[in-house]
Amino acid sequence: MDLQRLKPHLPWITLLVLVAAVGIVDDTFLRPANLLSLAGDIVPLFIMALGLTFAIYIGGIDLSAQSMANLVTVVASVYLASFGAWVAVLCIAVGFGFGLLSGYITTRLLVPSFISTLAVGGVAFSLAQYLSGQRALNMDAAQRDAVFGWMIGKTGPIPHELFIAVGLLALTLFIERRTTLGRALKAVGAGEPAAAASGLNVARYKMLAFAISGALAAIAGLLFAVKLSGGAPTIANGFLLPAIVAVLVGGTPLTGGVGGVLNTAIGTLIVAVIRASMLYFDIQATQQQMIFGLVLIGAIALTIDRAKLRTVK
Amino acid sequence: MYQLAKVDKKFPGVHALKAVDFQIGRGEIVGLVGENGAGKSTLMKVIYGAYQPDGGQIIMDGKTVRFANPRAAMEQGIGMVFQEQSLIANLTVMENIFLGYEQQFVRFGVINWKAMATAASAQLAKVRLTIDPATVTSALSFAQRQLVELAKVLTLEERVQGNLVILLDEPTSVLAEDEVKLLFKLVRELTTRASFIFVSHRMDEVMELSDRIYVMKDGAVVDVVNRGEKTVEQIQHKMVGRNVDKEYYREHRQKPFDATKELVKLEGVSLPGRINDISLTLHAGEVLCLVGTEGSGREAILRTIYGMRTPLRGKVSLKGQEISRFSPRNAVERGVGYVPRERKVEGIVAGMTVYENMTLSQMGRHSSAGILRIAGERALARDWISKLSIKASSELADCGNLSGGNQQKVVLAKWRSGGSDIMLLDHPTRGLDIGAKEDVYDMIRDMSDAGVGIVLVADTLEEAIGLSHSIIVVKDGAIQKRFACEPGAKPSLFDLLHYMI
Repeated sequence: MDLQRLKPHLPWITLLVLVAAVGIVDDTFLRPANLLSLAGDIVPLFIMALGLTFAIYIGGIDLSAQSMANLVTVVASVYLASFGAWVAVLCIAVGFGFGLLSGYITTRLLVPSFISTLAVGGVAFSLAQYLSGQRALNMDAAQRDAVFGWMIGKTGPIPHELFIAVGLLALTLFIERRTTLGRALKAVGAGEPAAAASGLNVARYKMLAFAISGALAAIAGLLFAVKLSGGAPTIANGFLLPAIVAVLVGGTPLTGGVGGVLNTAIGTLIVAVIRASMLYFDIQATQQQMIFGLVLIGAIALTIDRAKLRTVK
Repeated sequence: MYQLAKVDKKFPGVHALKAVDFQIGRGEIVGLVGENGAGKSTLMKVIYGAYQPDGGQIIMDGKTVRFANPRAAMEQGIGMVFQEQSLIANLTVMENIFLGYEQQFVRFGVINWKAMATAASAQLAKVRLTIDPATVTSALSFAQRQLVELAKVLTLEERVQGNLVILLDEPTSVLAEDEVKLLFKLVRELTTRASFIFVSHRMDEVMELSDRIYVMKDGAVVDVVNRGEKTVEQIQHKMVGRNVDKEYYREHRQKPFDATKELVKLEGVSLPGRINDISLTLHAGEVLCLVGTEGSGREAILRTIYGMRTPLRGKVSLKGQEISRFSPRNAVERGVGYVPRERKVEGIVAGMTVYENMTLSQMGRHSSAGILRIAGERALARDWISKLSIKASSELADCGNLSGGNQQKVVLAKWRSGGSDIMLLDHPTRGLDIGAKEDVYDMIRDMSDAGVGIVLVADTLEEAIGLSHSIIVVKDGAIQKRFACEPGAKPSLFDLLHYMI
């Protein structure tokens, strides 16, 4: 079996090898309770990575995801008291809207997505600072439990976050595999000129991809705010790099067109295992980003489709 | 002084050069003519070192040489003046002239701009160009850039001992008439220092300038003509002159079209710099061929009908309805299908399956509320795979792995399965082998029988003549001449060439 045919299978092989390796070194790792709690903790990151998958699947990137989550933690904390459960709708609408804005800037003003999303992320971050008055905010504990308590409870040993994750995975998988939107995004990622020459409204589909990315980043932010019972403009910092790593390690290359949300699920699990092993080996939180940076470079170098790149700048 | 002996070059599936003999003496100007795909470009690339021949020898001054790359050829005095101008627009003239050879002006790691400017002025003087060498290249006219390009190649004089051979690839295509005269005068003067190989589509210019003309066809030199030996027509006959097989283009299947039913109507359509005042009508069952040289505006006409370009003036009507918003989506909804020339880039999506490719333009038809009916898509694909005998393992095969002919069938099936009845075909047989070409010809006749109107830009003139009901000759973005092409009363190649060039 040559490398090209092995490539699609690399993510889950990597996952198995990592799990086995960490399991041998640390005998508490493979206990079901430990695995479940690890999986539960990674869910906000997973949701953000799910959204990023759409942006990367079409050959773009969404660097605003982390700022979007930050903003949403603040929005959720500020407006929970007045809006109640409707604050969830507000949060998702904010994410969707900012994503649409990034998409508009990318497709209509022809600003590359890495810079348009960076700029929109800056706006979102700034808005979060303004709304929060640059303070950490707390939700009213009773109200949080009443409205969003179901998100963070447990049924038996299983954390409820996992149900949310599986639900969103199923939804995004359905969009990717069964809808005209998913098919169009695949065509845009794999061969944009041919998609345009087939009469697809490429710009509209691209805008939708960024909007979905924004909306999922918002859901990630909301869940995070509920878990921490509060929000702050920098609370989700440190999410972006591992989320991008999850997408790329999962097997959706920066050039787009292949991979998808199922790959991202595996990629997120790989990130979770790397994180857990870093805890075990006593690597401090401040150094974890360094590891993720290195893994990211390795993953991009392995997965990127160089035939699609004319020059690298 | 420079000679090619029995030079051979093969690419996968193509024998590009077949035992080509070629020679050029000191101070000679040699012309090189042939149709698109005759092997001119390959021959030039062998001469200036971009390709290495698979067989035969390159002989300079009696010695066999081998160039690993263009730079090695340049060091032996062989320079190329490119057709697509190779100057970098945001650099100054002198930086362009000495690009890659700046070392001679470097002292202590810093470029001495004054010395470079002086040297550049000396080069520019050779081509009678009096401009400041520090001018940014983008500020120059096309004619000036062409001369700078020539000046750049002439730096070889100082670097190389011995004689120069300079290739001019379509140097006149962007020049006005008086600029062409100027260039020719210059080239004649420079023959004291260099020999020239002149490649052009404009036969009269080749005849005027060259001492000798090599005529190429299908990768071989079919004739060598000395100055004044033959007429333009005789050379053109050599260029194209193969017997056209009527069966090959399915002429016996050509039926009269329905002149009462207009599918496409262009009235005075203009796109600045591309096409000017184009009026034409396409009827049901008609094959309408656009004939012209590269860049004559054929592709722009197709893309305007398809809505990829919005004309500045004029009216486009599809099936009697005037188009106001130009977009491919709009055109597709009105039954237009487009088979682009770049099959692998715009035709198919590699990495998607055969059925995904086939339904890409008509997903609305195979979905409800945005949810695809994949079983239906696959059934449709299976149906068309057998209908067009597409060689694919199944409808789940990756389209990128199919052969060129089968990819083209998938593209045609994409439009036909969606019921398109206005087909725009841009070089549909490009790069296909003979069997696959014949399949495409049959499909064109089938579509024509079914009342589909076809606008065709053919790969060769024979193909255009053989397949079409009508031919429109386009030159420099304007319509030169219309021909009716009933079987038995088709125009000849020479009729067409006369208006093309």
